[in-house]
Amino acid sequence: MRVTILRTTSLGALLAVALVLPAFGQGGVDRVDSNTERLPLHTVIPDYPEVARRDRVEGSVQVCFNISRSGYPRRIAVRHSTSRVFEKIAKKAVRQSTWKPLPDGEQESGIKACRTFRFSLVPVTRDEPD
Amino acid sequence: MKIRHISYWVLLVTAFLLLASPELAANEESKVVIGPRNALLADGANALLAGNGVEGVRLTLRGLEMAQGEVERKMGHSNLCAGYILIDKPRTALPHCNWVLERYPNHWRTYNNRALVYLRLERFEESEADIARGQELSPSSRNLKIAKGMLLDETDPVRANVEIDERRSAMEDASDDPPND
Repeated sequence: MRVTILRTTSLGALLAVALVLPAFGQGGVDRVDSNTERLPLHTVIPDYPEVARRDRVEGSVQVCFNISRSGYPRRIAVRHSTSRVFEKIAKKAVRQSTWKPLPDGEQESGIKACRTFRFSLVPVTRDEPD
Repeated sequence: MKIRHISYWVLLVTAFLLLASPELAANEESKVVIGPRNALLADGANALLAGNGVEGVRLTLRGLEMAQGEVERKMGHSNLCAGYILIDKPRTALPHCNWVLERYPNHWRTYNNRALVYLRLERFEESEADIARGQELSPSSRNLKIAKGMLLDETDPVRANVEIDERRSAMEDASDDPPND
């Protein structure tokens, strides 16, 4: 299985946070942003679900979550999904991932981070190794 | 040629036939029947269920010799179709599958088994046709979905790819692609 991870630069992360900050405190405002300044420590890559591979189903899932001070994801939820078959495994991958703990004195941002998982199938020739 | 999980779902097909046998016997006659009428056929199905293809085929062949009525013959040939696949004799399995389908053209389980036979013989178009016919008869069959996946793995193999995107507009990027579900 081939795996790719795309990340924004830290500057991009800070900019994204700044764009969301004015919305704090407003009732009903969705405080979701799709990236975070928190540094990933251990990123779990989900396996392609066997049923989806068998049925040739491709798709994407965006999972959003908070990151605790100690670096563990909290309040994990699917925000967008093209196929339910990928949702459980994407949430599990986030649940098992960790981020660098915040140093003492630094405040938690409270902003949700989001991670999008894209599942795709690439045609191969018979002789090509998996 | 690699064919994965073949024994697993062939056995599921035979399981149905085993469980059906006492009930069928009871329905045909207006008396209480305890246990299967043709014990050899039932024991053969049991052996196939346990993964013992050689013994399952042997018992089923004996049971078929003393089969009474069309239902028992159908069971026997259908289980032989599955049993010979289990012991990797697809050419021997094929006439038994054909026997069932010539008389019972709506028997989706035998379409499933014959699709496996064709797959083993690398007769992919015939395998695809049997899967399609089986799915017309039983659209939600898990066995047929697995068979179709195995066929696709032979004819159109794919490599799984997972991409993690933490960019700001990751999902919007993905939504540009046409849905494939």
